[in-house]
Amino acid sequence: MKRVISFLLAAAMMTGAFAGCGQSQSSSSSQAAGSTAASAAASENVSGQSVTITTWNEPSKDDALNMYKQAEKATGVKVNVTVIPESDYSSKLGQMVSTKDTSTDIMVVWENDLKNFAEAKGIVSLDSYLQKSTINTKDFIPAVSQLSSGMGATYGLPWCAATEILYYNKDMFKAAGISLPTNNWKYDDFKAAAKKLTKNGVYGCALPNTQTWWAGVGGAGDKIYAPSNGQMVIGSGATSFIKDCKVMVDAKEMPAPSSDTTDLFAAGKAAMAWQGSWNIGTYADKLKFDWDIASLPTNKVKYNTLHTGFYTINANSKKQTAAWKVIEYLMSEEGQTINSKASGNPSALKTIANKGAWKVEAAKKVTNWDAITDSLNSGIFGYTCLPSGVTNNAVSKFNSSLLGEITPADAVKQASDYAAETIGY
Amino acid sequence: MRRQRSDSRSAYVFILPWLIGFLCFTLFPIVFMVQQSLTNRKLNGVSKFIGLANYKNMFKSAVFWNSFRVTILFTVVMVVVTTVWAVILALLLNRKQKFNSIFQFCYFLPSVVPTVALAYAFRTIFGKNAGLFNNILSTFMGHTVEINWLYQKNTVYFVVFFITLFTYGTGQMMLIFRSGLADVPQELYEASSLDGATFLQKFFHITLPMISPLILFNAVSGCVSALNGSFALLYPLTSENGDPNGMTQVLSLLIYKEAFSNMKVGYACALSVVLFLVAAAFGGLIFGISKKTVYYED
Repeated sequence: MKRVISFLLAAAMMTGAFAGCGQSQSSSSSQAAGSTAASAAASENVSGQSVTITTWNEPSKDDALNMYKQAEKATGVKVNVTVIPESDYSSKLGQMVSTKDTSTDIMVVWENDLKNFAEAKGIVSLDSYLQKSTINTKDFIPAVSQLSSGMGATYGLPWCAATEILYYNKDMFKAAGISLPTNNWKYDDFKAAAKKLTKNGVYGCALPNTQTWWAGVGGAGDKIYAPSNGQMVIGSGATSFIKDCKVMVDAKEMPAPSSDTTDLFAAGKAAMAWQGSWNIGTYADKLKFDWDIASLPTNKVKYNTLHTGFYTINANSKKQTAAWKVIEYLMSEEGQTINSKASGNPSALKTIANKGAWKVEAAKKVTNWDAITDSLNSGIFGYTCLPSGVTNNAVSKFNSSLLGEITPADAVKQASDYAAETIGY
Repeated sequence: MRRQRSDSRSAYVFILPWLIGFLCFTLFPIVFMVQQSLTNRKLNGVSKFIGLANYKNMFKSAVFWNSFRVTILFTVVMVVVTTVWAVILALLLNRKQKFNSIFQFCYFLPSVVPTVALAYAFRTIFGKNAGLFNNILSTFMGHTVEINWLYQKNTVYFVVFFITLFTYGTGQMMLIFRSGLADVPQELYEASSLDGATFLQKFFHITLPMISPLILFNAVSGCVSALNGSFALLYPLTSENGDPNGMTQVLSLLIYKEAFSNMKVGYACALSVVLFLVAAAFGGLIFGISKKTVYYED
C-alpha cells in the first residue's frame, strides 16, 4: 500500500510539472488560422451563425442604440454579449487567453492587454482581413496608429476614443464673477479659479481620480509611458503636480484623499472636476445646476489620456469569419455612429468623429462640444498601456503624499522603483 | 492474518475519498504553485523557467519587505485582539443571567455577515465626509468632525483591528470558549472561593489553565484566518495597495495585485510560497509555546 501511495504522490508531482510545461507551449497555429479564415471570409456565408462578444459595458436597452442588435440585422450573425464587471475585466480575459477559452469569439481588449494577448497568440492578426475590407486604417487618430506600430501587425480595432476633460459648474463661476473656462485655458488660470471658487464648504476642484492624476502628471511634462521598453517614466512633472495638489489640499481648495466615494462635482460640492468624457452621458440632464465642459487646462504640455478598447478575434474561436463580419459592421460608419450616440464617445476614425454623433442629446447644458475634438487631438495612450497594478500603486503613493505621509519626491521615487521591478522581468 | 489484511484494505478503501481529495485539491495545487514560482508565468499563459529569479527579485523589493512586516504585525495583533475579545464575550455569556441566549445571538450576529459586506459597511461608517461615525462625533462635539479614519497612519490600524472584532473568526472563537467555560468544574471555583480567591485570581489560576487547549486551537486557527482571510476584509477597506502608503498591504493583497493587476502569476506564486512558509512558522511557534503553557488534564 505504501508503494501505491508513493506512486500516487509521484504521479501528482509529475502531473504538476507537465501541466506547467503544457501551458507554456504557444499555439503557433493561431496566426495561420487567422489568415486562412481571412481568405475564406470573403466567400463564406456566415448568415445564421452566432458569435459571442465579451465586453465590460452593458449594451443599450434601446434597440436602436444597441450596436450589437443592429449588427445582427446587418450581418445576419447572431451576437451574444457577455458582460464582465470592469474591476475584473482585464484579469478574466487574461485567464481566458491562458486557458485557450473558446466561449468567446470577439474580445474587446484594453490597451495594456493588447500586446500581451498578441504575444500569447491569444488573438489573431487582422491584417489579412483588413486588406479585403473597406475600413480605412489611415483614417485613425494618430494615437491609435502609434499604439499598433511596433507590434508587427494590427491585432485590434478601437471601438471608440474617449478623452479626459474639465467639467465645471457654470452657476458657481457666474456667482464668483470668473470668466468661464475655454479650451485654451492655462493651468495657472485653473489654479486661480479654484482658489476663488473655494468657499462655503465647496471645493474649487475635486481630487484627481485614478485616471486624471495621469493627465496632471503628463501635463506637467512627464512622458509617463515609454513604448520602446514598456516602462513607466515619471519624474519632475509628477513631483511638481503632486506639490500643486498638496498646496490645494492644504488650502481646502481640493478634498484630501479619503475612503468616501461621493462624486463631489455631481453633488455640487466641487466647482470643477477632471474626469472622463463618458461622464457626459452619466450626467446628461440629471445635475441640478448649470454645467459645461472644456479641455483640460494646459500646463507645460497640452495632455490628456485617451481611453478605448480594441475589437479582437479570439485565436481559439471556431467562428473567426463570422466574428470579423460583426467587427467590420461595428467599425463601419453606421456601427460607429450608433456606438457614439449610445456611449457619448467619439469614433477613433477621424471622418466619422468629425460628424459629431457623440454629442449626447440628453446633455442639453453642454455647449462647448469642441472640447471633445480638441481633447482627441491632444490625447495619447499613456498610463493605460501600463499594468494597472503599477499605475494604481503610483496613485496610492501620490495620495499618501497629499496626506503628508511621504514627500512628493519620495512618492515619485517609490512609484518608479515599483514600476521598474514589476515591468519586464 | 488474512482477516487483518482484509481489515487494512477496508480501512484504505474508506480513506480513499479523502486521499483523492487531498491529492487533487491540496497536494497538487501546492506542488503546482511551487513549480510555477520558478517561472515567469503571466496571466495570459506565457511562461518560461527562470529558476530562483522571482525569489531574488522579491527579497530585493522594498514593497515585499513592507508587506512581510505588515503581515507579521497584522497576524500577531489580530490573533491577540480577537482571542482576548472572544474570551471576554464568552465570560460575559457564561454568567447566569436572563436573556443569555439573546445576548449570544446579538454578539454572534455580525459574525455571520459575509466579510466583504461587513468591510463595505464599515468603510461607509468610517468615511471622512459622509461617515456615520464622524457624524455621531460631530453631534456630540458640537462642531464638524472630519477624521480621515481609513487614510491616516494614526488611525487606520485602530479602525482595522476594531473591525476584526466583528468577523466570523471572532464569533466562532467566542462559541468555542463558551463551551469550554461550561466544562470547567464548578468545585474548583467553590474551593477557591472558600480560600478567599478574587475574581482575577480565579480567572488566571483556574479558568485560563482549564481553557488553555482551546486557546491553542483558536490561536492556530486565528493565525491561519488572519493570514489567508485578511484579504476579504482588507481589500474592500483599503484596496489592493493597502492604503495609506502600504500600511495595510498584507501578503494576500500583494499576491492578488501581482497576479491579477500586474498579471505576474509566477511572481505571485513565489509570494504564495512565502505566505505558506510564514503560516507554517506561526503554527510551529504556537505549538512550541503551547508545550510550556497549555494544561491538559490527565
